[in-house]
Amino acid sequence: MSDMDDAYKDKILEVENLNVEFSTYGGVVQAVRGVNFSVGRGETLAIVGESGCGKSVTVQSIMGLIPTPPGKITAGEARLRGNNILNLPAKEANKFRGVEIGMIFQDPMTSLNPTMTIGDQISETLMVHRHLSYADASAKAVALLDKTRIPEAKKRAAQYPFEFSGGMLQRAMIAQSLACNPSVLIADEPTTALDVTIQAQILELMSELQKTEDMSIILITHDLAVVAKMADRVAVMYAGQIVEMGAVDEIFYESAHPYTMGLKEAMPSNRNDRAKKLTPIEGSPPDLFSPPAGCGYYARCPHAMKLCETKQSEEFILSSNSSHFSKCWLQHPEAPKTDGLFQAGDEHAS
Amino acid sequence: MLAYTLKRLLAGIVTVWFIATATFTAMHMVPGDPLMNDKAVSAEIRANLERKYGLDKSAPEQYVIFMKNMLSGDFGISFTQQNRQVNDIIRDHFPVSATLGIMAIFFATIGGVLWGALTALYRNRLPDIIIMFLVILGISVPSFVFAALGQLLLVNINSLFGASIIPVAGWGTFSHMLMPSMVLGLGTMALLTRLMRSSMLEIVNEDYIRTARAKGLSPSRIFFRHQLRNAILPVITVLGPQIAAITTGGFVVELVFAIPGLGRYFVQAVQQLDYTVIMGTTVFYGAFLVLMVILVDILYGFIDPRVRLS
Repeated sequence: MSDMDDAYKDKILEVENLNVEFSTYGGVVQAVRGVNFSVGRGETLAIVGESGCGKSVTVQSIMGLIPTPPGKITAGEARLRGNNILNLPAKEANKFRGVEIGMIFQDPMTSLNPTMTIGDQISETLMVHRHLSYADASAKAVALLDKTRIPEAKKRAAQYPFEFSGGMLQRAMIAQSLACNPSVLIADEPTTALDVTIQAQILELMSELQKTEDMSIILITHDLAVVAKMADRVAVMYAGQIVEMGAVDEIFYESAHPYTMGLKEAMPSNRNDRAKKLTPIEGSPPDLFSPPAGCGYYARCPHAMKLCETKQSEEFILSSNSSHFSKCWLQHPEAPKTDGLFQAGDEHAS
Repeated sequence: MLAYTLKRLLAGIVTVWFIATATFTAMHMVPGDPLMNDKAVSAEIRANLERKYGLDKSAPEQYVIFMKNMLSGDFGISFTQQNRQVNDIIRDHFPVSATLGIMAIFFATIGGVLWGALTALYRNRLPDIIIMFLVILGISVPSFVFAALGQLLLVNINSLFGASIIPVAGWGTFSHMLMPSMVLGLGTMALLTRLMRSSMLEIVNEDYIRTARAKGLSPSRIFFRHQLRNAILPVITVLGPQIAAITTGGFVVELVFAIPGLGRYFVQAVQQLDYTVIMGTTVFYGAFLVLMVILVDILYGFIDPRVRLS
């Protein structure tokens, strides 16, 4: 645990009370409703949750990538080494985008400009931010491609995205995002569009580069297997809020929110447990046009209580170093004991 | 790239041959012949003339002779203009039409890309609404209306200054070319504006634009380096046929502005069944257009690498 404690001391990115809305023809969607988290130096924070829970919007807001309008950051702060980076004009934002924070996306096939060579797209970042000459930047681009293990990097740098495979493109995207040695890499579902063997390679590359480059990773995913492999800490998002956050072991072995339990039960495992059926979470997420007054998970929760419908739970802290919290009334000292769910006062697994 | 170009050129030659053959066939199916416009001549003179021009031979024979001459670059002598070589007509008048056409295409492309990009930037706001209204006008109003209006405008400008600042009609200097080429390019400009606008709006939402923003590039750099180049592809695609439309469709504008272009001969020759001029101008225009389309395809390859290699 001592590594973890060190990680907390040096918070590179802190997000506080982030609220994001989208105005649509149907009304205002409250996509993100008061999200708080921080990322320490060198650590990997995974944000998990189902589609539409606001995980991508959260990180895109930090990067200033949500289209405004219709999007709008209505409240909150994101601090990069103490300086707020939310709602900055493009000129200010470009001092950290691609420099301090790099980002890679879900679909590498469409995330690179089809009419520019891979090398030019990488060296562009270097020329803009590091003011390198074209020759120097191109040489560095080749070195970066080499670093992400693209064979024949020099030849590849002169090629266009359509000449690359999906996995190679994601490597190129990673090379591009690393160009200016960022301290944070945001990976928005980086392996969702890739097939499983390539997924493993990309994840391995990411954790390796994380060590050599000494950077933090925010990993957005809905794949718990990816979380287990990569994350130091996990934030579970539901209906625009973080409902549970903790170290990866705490989330997997001491799940303290019914939604986290639900996600785990819906995850296939490779143990010889053929008799055990996967349990899907019944129902669908709440309508974020008019978010419920109480807990967003109320309608689907097997343990829902009367209180949950009308009043949102506070964040109950469950571990001594306050790394683990759950936003569920079942963590209240007077709440009934629930089977399977980790509750305050339960024996810690580790 | 070289093999691609050669392949396209070969296909182009076949196309030109086809144009020549089809025109020849159609021309001979039209009732009458080039000599019927002449003053009533005696049967004897007519027979002599027919012999002189080779009209007494059968159509297939004439076709073979025509093809042979065409391959050696000779289109023969005009029937209606005494002793004038078709080649001379083309040499004298095509440069005028080509200059006009190139300037019109220039105006249309610059304007179309510019206005299209502008409307996309100001989507659904006042500049967009105004420009898109003008675009509808540009597409639906025929060019002779704009030609007349353009002349009226020039007349008003000139009378305002009390001197002929910009000539209303005629040909010769650069100022002669301005108004006719703008009028000629207007329809194409309107079309390209619409195309460019929709293409730009589509590309704003592409993932690679988001990537460019995440890289921390300035909005102007994203606009010029990432958006424009990709948005311009559909515009270039239609440029080939548009060049065709402008260079052949220019004769109305040439007529209104009294420009000595090839268009007039092109139309007159059909009316007078001037066989040699019809064949000469049609084959020439056909070859020119085929060349333009090939050039555009090659240009396309330079901008979009995917075309270059496949």
